[in-house]
Amino acid sequence: MGTAPSIEVSPATVDELHVDRPWLVIVWNDPVNLMSYVTYVFQKLFGYSFAKATRLMLDVHQKGRAVVASGPRERAELDVARLHRHGLWATLEHQS
Amino acid sequence: MTKSERPPVLVRKDDGFELSLSPDERVFVSSIPTQLAEALDAISGSDQQLPANLRRLFPAAYPTDTSAEASYVSLVRADLIEHHRNALSVLARTASATHLTDDEAEAWLTALNDLRIVIGTSLGVTEDMVQPSPADPRHAEWICYDYLTYLQSLVVDALADLLPSIPPTPDDTTPDDPWGDPPGGLRWDGTPVPPEP
Repeated sequence: MGTAPSIEVSPATVDELHVDRPWLVIVWNDPVNLMSYVTYVFQKLFGYSFAKATRLMLDVHQKGRAVVASGPRERAELDVARLHRHGLWATLEHQS
Repeated sequence: MTKSERPPVLVRKDDGFELSLSPDERVFVSSIPTQLAEALDAISGSDQQLPANLRRLFPAAYPTDTSAEASYVSLVRADLIEHHRNALSVLARTASATHLTDDEAEAWLTALNDLRIVIGTSLGVTEDMVQPSPADPRHAEWICYDYLTYLQSLVVDALADLLPSIPPTPDDTTPDDPWGDPPGGLRWDGTPVPPEP
């Protein structure tokens, strides 16, 4: 019986797979999008309550940006694409 | 007729909305998408450089990672152009309609927002902008932008009424905010935090 081939796992790969470091979906403030529209989009896309969607919208408006969702990279990238379809200024960032 | 006196623009009816606009408004709504539609027709999903007036419609997902951004663009750009283009077509096509389906109302929302983004960016709109004077060479564009804002807010309100009512729950927390509150009453871009609305 032969020995199993060894698989080298670089620290970077382990780091990439680490579940504790989700990807963050960030929405940035812009002067054009209506507050009611941004709240509506958060409710529609993420199923958030009106209260939660409003809180996130105000974070975007007052702090300049807010994390509106987080998760695995593929999921977060899909969320960013859905936000872009709605004209929101969204980016993706690996939580540090 | 002032805005408060006019009948509601959108009224829920028969799985859609009854649309009441004046003939002048309908002419405006049917013609306003043309220029942006033509600009979108002129670009393709593989374009590396977009015209300046369209960039805000296609934000970077990975602003600091060019290779990740390139694969994001190749994955979504063509679909995104198509999505914006379709919404503008629906807006122009249904400007004279008296009834909008829910999907058509959604397309109106997308198209009106896209038009406001492009016109607003071109005008350099800020949050505390003042009403431009009639002497402003771009006065007509400002009036156009204001009207689109008015119309979009009506469409948002009409569609928001259709959202399921989701009660807040005790664990209804927002995702971790790694930045916390901005320092010294300033926003992250350095401007003062506006008062609560």
